[in-house]
Amino acid sequence: MIKITNLNKNFGNFKALKDINLHIKKGELIILKGVSGSGKSTLLSLIASMSKPSSGDIEVNNIKVSKLPDIHSCEYRNKNIGFIFQSFNLLEQLSVSDNIFAPLVVSNTQNKQELLNSALKKAKIIHKKNEIVSNLSGGEKQRCAIARAIVLNANIIIADEPTASLDRQNSLDFIEVIKQFKDDGKTIIISTHDSIFDNLDYVSRYINIKDGIIVK
Amino acid sequence: MSIFLSSNVIVLLFIEVVLFLFAIYSVIIAINILKNWDFNSTSPKQYSLEKKSFLVSTIIYFTILAKSFMFLFFASTLDSLSSIVPGAMCAAGIINANSYGNILLFLKIIIIFIFALWIILNRLDLKSTTYPYIKKKYFIYIITFILLLSEIILDYLYFSNISTSKPVLCCSIVFVSSNDTNGLPFNLSIDMMLLIFYILYFLIIITSQTKQNLISFLSSILFLFVAYYSVTYFFGTYIYELPTHKCPFCMLQKEYYYVGYLVWISLFFGVFFGSSSYLLKLFTKKEFAFTYKYSIIFNTIFVLVCTSYVVVYYLKNGVFL
Repeated sequence: MIKITNLNKNFGNFKALKDINLHIKKGELIILKGVSGSGKSTLLSLIASMSKPSSGDIEVNNIKVSKLPDIHSCEYRNKNIGFIFQSFNLLEQLSVSDNIFAPLVVSNTQNKQELLNSALKKAKIIHKKNEIVSNLSGGEKQRCAIARAIVLNANIIIADEPTASLDRQNSLDFIEVIKQFKDDGKTIIISTHDSIFDNLDYVSRYINIKDGIIVK
Repeated sequence: MSIFLSSNVIVLLFIEVVLFLFAIYSVIIAINILKNWDFNSTSPKQYSLEKKSFLVSTIIYFTILAKSFMFLFFASTLDSLSSIVPGAMCAAGIINANSYGNILLFLKIIIIFIFALWIILNRLDLKSTTYPYIKKKYFIYIITFILLLSEIILDYLYFSNISTSKPVLCCSIVFVSSNDTNGLPFNLSIDMMLLIFYILYFLIIITSQTKQNLISFLSSILFLFVAYYSVTYFFGTYIYELPTHKCPFCMLQKEYYYVGYLVWISLFFGVFFGSSSYLLKLFTKKEFAFTYKYSIIFNTIFVLVCTSYVVVYYLKNGVFL
């Protein structure tokens, strides 16, 4: 499903990722562990085709995403990737529904209202659907971000430090939602250094990254 | 007085030089892409070329946009110079001030034409995920760069050879003896030229509808020349309502409601789309129906605008000029 071969990413002279090789199967839940600056977020942004590698190859569902021209990268992300950001990246002045509807605006799908309601229900935020995002709590914003990530039924969910701005209870709620996605057959990649993700029995693999290298 | 003291000429040459500097940067990368492009490679060099290709495309887009406006500014500059060159009443007098003028004008049109073709090829290239036309489009760009280099040299030669003391001939023919030629190529009569004009128009329509791209290409190129002479020597006289006023430029002015822009731009696009179907097929081996459609639309607008001036004049005055 996701095949990463000899991947390198440099920012000037700084080597953020060094010769990464990784194979992720469909339906796996992967936890990327590592300290800040170890290269976790860089790897996620490359898988989501939000940036291009310096060398190497990333193949997702037989699409060479590292070689996609920018206009095709947008389409690829829209169809395949649900991305949950550390700081949520929501449009604060819009309502929950409007935020979740945003990916649907550029999508060709027909039943947009149905998809919106389904995402609101799955992320357990339907009761706040008309609320302005700036009025929400951290946990509610997180659920709104989750709903936006799954609204187009993306088969890959990527979460970058999803619990970094949440309290323990909201972090546990997030883990429950993720478990549900795993049961639905979605491929999930989460980068974190939060110990709350340690020793979860339904996690397929824990991968440690240190100084841009996968550590066994 | 030196022609280089005209602020329009200074601005025109300055912008042309700046655009040429952009073009030099782009052509260096274009050559690099032509030499080293290997889409299947995942090497740092290939990724760097892919990024640079996007940058160069953006620079070329900017250059094309700027060049289109610069062409209009060039026409306006020529017009403004008519006040300091003796004998010149409009841009036509200035363009004929030396032997470089008409070549420069023709070259500027050719460059915009090739750039327009490049835009279409670039769009087709970016629509695909594998950059199938990248080498072709940069090859075209390198040819265009040679034309841009020629253009900037001709710009300098042309403006530096305009004398502000030597009188020039302009567009209004006041005294014509019966033995004089009418200015048309091959000494064609006006009636014969109009016959060819309308035959070619209908040929373009028919070949566009039947998608015969080679005939459409040839008839479009021929139509460009016939249309130029038809507008200058026949339709233009109805726009100016003066049989002795034979000028391709004056119709761009306010007195004629800027109709020249509509006339020349519709002709340019009509000819461009009429001929690009063949050229695009040559490069891509594919047929593009939209070129035929736009060819019909723009050529029809052009012919209708030109013809309407004659019809309206006749309806108003009951006679032809």
